[in-house]
Amino acid sequence: MLYLLRKFALLLLTLFVAATINFFLPRLIPGDAVGAMMAKYQGNLSPQAADALRLAYGLGNEGSAFQEYLKYLVKLLHGDFGRSITQFPTPAADVIAAAAPWTIGLIGVCTLISFLIGSALGLYSAWKGNQRFASALPAIGLFLGALPYFWVGSLLVYVFSLWHNVFPLGGNLDPFIGDSFTPKWWSSMLRHAVLPACSIIITAVGGWLVTMRNNAVSVMGEDYLAFARAKGLSERRILSRYVLRNAMLPSLTGFGIALGFVVGGSILVEQVYSYPGLGYYLFSAVTSKDFPLMQAIFLIISAAVLIANFLVDILYTFLDPRVRTGLGA
Amino acid sequence: MSAAASAPRPRLAALGRRPLDALGSLMRRSPKAAAGIVILLVLSLMAISAPLWTSYDPTSLAFKSMLTPSRLHPLGTTFVGQDILSQLLYGARFTMLIGLLTGLIATLIGTAVGISAAYFGGRFDEIVNGIINVVLVLPGFPLLIVAAALLENAGDWAIIIVISLTGWAWGARVLRAQAMTLRRRDFIDAAVSTGEGPGRIIFREMLPNLSGIIAANFFGTALYGVLSESGLKFIGVGDVTQPSWGSMLYWAAGHTALLKGAWWWVMAPGLCIALLGTSFALLNFAIDEIANPKAANAGRLRAARRGKGRVLASQSAAQTLTRPNMKIQPPNPAALLSVRHLTAGYQTPQGPVRAVRNVSLDVMPGEFLGLAGESGCGKSTLAFAATRLLAEPGEVFSGQSVLEGVDLLTLSESELRRRRWKDYSMVFQASMNVLNPVLRVREQLYDAMQAHGVTDKAKLDARARELFGLVGIRESYLDVYPHQLSGGMKQRVVIAIALALEPKLVVLDEPTTALDVVVQRQILEEIQAVRRRLGIGIVMITHDLSLLTEMSDRIAIMYAGEIVEEAPSSVLQSAPLHPYTRRLMTAFPPLGGERTRREGIPGRPPSLALDLTGCPFAERCDSVMPICSLQKPVLSDLSPGHRVACFLHASPEQLTLAKPEVNHVLASD
Ligand SMILES: Nc1ncnc2c1ncn2[C@@H]1O[C@H](COP(=O)(O)OP(=O)(O)O)[C@@H](O)[C@H]1O
Ligand code: SF4
Ligand SMILES: [Mg+2]
Repeated sequence: MLYLLRKFALLLLTLFVAATINFFLPRLIPGDAVGAMMAKYQGNLSPQAADALRLAYGLGNEGSAFQEYLKYLVKLLHGDFGRSITQFPTPAADVIAAAAPWTIGLIGVCTLISFLIGSALGLYSAWKGNQRFASALPAIGLFLGALPYFWVGSLLVYVFSLWHNVFPLGGNLDPFIGDSFTPKWWSSMLRHAVLPACSIIITAVGGWLVTMRNNAVSVMGEDYLAFARAKGLSERRILSRYVLRNAMLPSLTGFGIALGFVVGGSILVEQVYSYPGLGYYLFSAVTSKDFPLMQAIFLIISAAVLIANFLVDILYTFLDPRVRTGLGA
Repeated sequence: MSAAASAPRPRLAALGRRPLDALGSLMRRSPKAAAGIVILLVLSLMAISAPLWTSYDPTSLAFKSMLTPSRLHPLGTTFVGQDILSQLLYGARFTMLIGLLTGLIATLIGTAVGISAAYFGGRFDEIVNGIINVVLVLPGFPLLIVAAALLENAGDWAIIIVISLTGWAWGARVLRAQAMTLRRRDFIDAAVSTGEGPGRIIFREMLPNLSGIIAANFFGTALYGVLSESGLKFIGVGDVTQPSWGSMLYWAAGHTALLKGAWWWVMAPGLCIALLGTSFALLNFAIDEIANPKAANAGRLRAARRGKGRVLASQSAAQTLTRPNMKIQPPNPAALLSVRHLTAGYQTPQGPVRAVRNVSLDVMPGEFLGLAGESGCGKSTLAFAATRLLAEPGEVFSGQSVLEGVDLLTLSESELRRRRWKDYSMVFQASMNVLNPVLRVREQLYDAMQAHGVTDKAKLDARARELFGLVGIRESYLDVYPHQLSGGMKQRVVIAIALALEPKLVVLDEPTTALDVVVQRQILEEIQAVRRRLGIGIVMITHDLSLLTEMSDRIAIMYAGEIVEEAPSSVLQSAPLHPYTRRLMTAFPPLGGERTRREGIPGRPPSLALDLTGCPFAERCDSVMPICSLQKPVLSDLSPGHRVACFLHASPEQLTLAKPEVNHVLASD
């Protein structure tokens, strides 16, 4: 379990680094960025909000930067992410709590689906190497992976909402839907999720496809594969127990990194569909210069990605006996 | 000449020395790279020659709002009356510049960090590796948004720097790993020991070898840069008045272009981003594939298995026999395995390598046949070709390999699968990696038997225990994973698997070369015992002749793809005839004797890419005669069972046959 302990230590360290960056970033910006920011709000900022902002960015001069840093860390540990400026005095944590389930649900499910579809296609491409379709797949994957998520979102909206009125333009639910989790609610939720989900899946599939194809191709060059062939095993068994089982391992170790990219692209999709998740609020925080909210969202996205990554690490220990029995991966 | 200079410097990513050569060779080798380069060139031309295509200023507000495409405005106009085509053309400049600059900066950082970590190692490397891992898992884009929003007034340079700072870690990780394997290579050690400084070693020795990976990484981060920049612009971070594809999408979204039906306003810049991104991705992929040839080669593995049409079995035997004094020999019906006129090798970009040349060889039932020769002379290729296990780029060019009356090279796929392992099995040369790392040993032993109809659990278990007893491993090891076994244990497991179905023929390709002498001895004795008990035929390959003379019934000596001598073991030991065999005998002292006495044979075997006219051993032979380099000595019987291919032992008939030709050549000299 040394492997998982190490991974957990990395998780904590990375969270700590994210929090630290969050604290020091506004203070590192050359020139008086915070002052400029304050100036922008002049007039439409309540005095309390202005005070809070000043405090949050170290203009209160109450103690040394280090003391403030410690205070900030303690606050974070208590779930206090500061207050949103534009929705003052709503705590940023409340905004996040309302938005996060939508993002985690949407991106989580889409990541899973695109991982499965992409990996299946990648495996197929490697296995059927010289057939026309199979050998064209990597290039298709590379093309899909190079599409901007939000642009795919725009196209789908144009085709399926504006041109053919098949799916709603945006939002997460029909208005006045009533209680959550009723059949009516589910159907509305799913109808709203289809287009954003498709935008994410279409783009994310490409990366998994190329990764899995490369892994599988390299596994197919291993001695143990030639040995399996020499043993006269059936193609089916070679594919599932020899190629797939080994080729999926690097996909999983690279999962965290890939997830970061997927999440980065996906949060822009929310903006296209006005889907009220973290990405949408991140965008509105950027346009309204609501820095505390922006930073809180960054932290929470980091935490979510890191935790998902750790879950994959746990899964990994079940699939790779080498880490389970103490030998490094 | 310094040691460093004389040590060979392999090019991991041999892309050529000059950039243009590299480009040309890249395009020839990979259609994907060619497509990427073409797209990139077209887009670059578009960016550079923007003024040629449009006379409008992309920022001018001179036109009517939201015009639909027309001859004057092929892509219409924006909400504030700018010409969209001119924005697209001029925007290419900015977007591409961002991609190239972020790619460049991030690659520079990644390369510097990765290589220095690998070079200096130790604590420094640990710390750097920790940093790399943290940066890698931190979601870059949300951080980018926050940082870029804070830096809003600092301009585009700040954004380029921030994108690079979130994008360098992947390259650092890949380069660190590659540089570490490189660091362990001999030629770097040679450079270190001659006192070259770190700077010189990194720049002169390491960087050139990593150039492929660095180039791949450049395109990978350039893609990240383009997508990040367009994403940032799309949400309005950065200078959106500067024409770029990202800011076009920002304004199009802001003015609800799609609601107003102006789909081309969204379509055009998005498609351009996708094309640019695709070209970067294609280049990244293609260069990476070439820099890691393992992945590229394996892709062709399937082709070999499927390409059974290329085995031109019997009809081709005649083709290779161009010399009049060679006769086509039919397979020996009494033999277990009868290889006839087998020619096999590898298709390489430099042309075919014929690693096995017109080899004929018999293995009798229950016989222990040894196959010896220096490494690189085609022993493994012969074993793989004869058992039809040769994978691409390997190929059987012609010949037959008849096992119990059936030519393996013409069998159908399903027939072949049925016979494999049941009729013959093989222990591979690099056996350390032959077991599947994620399956228990038991499963890998079972599946060989299950594939051939043994499905009863109790029977499988009993047989597994029996086999482990046979090769001297405790039964509890059935339930471990391969990495929990030592090298010797792994080898025993593989041998147990090879014996699982009691095949009539087992081919052992250097089964013990990697093991220490004691273990080697033990394993070989066990193989002998099992063979005697079960009466299986064995072909054992090694470059260690003294080992073979002890164990084999008969020995074949291979040199440069050909059998040069073949004799009963005792005969070969007491009276080796071929000069190469004699050299081999002294090169490997008797088993258990002084290992330090081992002397190699001076010189190297000839390249198997060449067609040799004379005796392949002529260059290194002490007894070389004029005829030797002019004509090929034919393998001919001296006494029953003793065949040799050397003019020292040629029959008078053979020499006279050769005469006219020789005289002719000598005369023309
Ligand atoms: N994949 C390959 N591509 C090109 N040439 C190869 C390949 N594998 C082996 N060769 C060449 O074939 C020759 C014989 O190799 P091999 O059969 O492995 O020799 P041995 O087993 O006697 O050491 C060598 O000269 C080697 O360079
Ligand atoms: S044929 Fe000539 S060169 Fe070749 S081994 Fe015999 S003597 Fe030497
Ligand atoms: Mg070999």
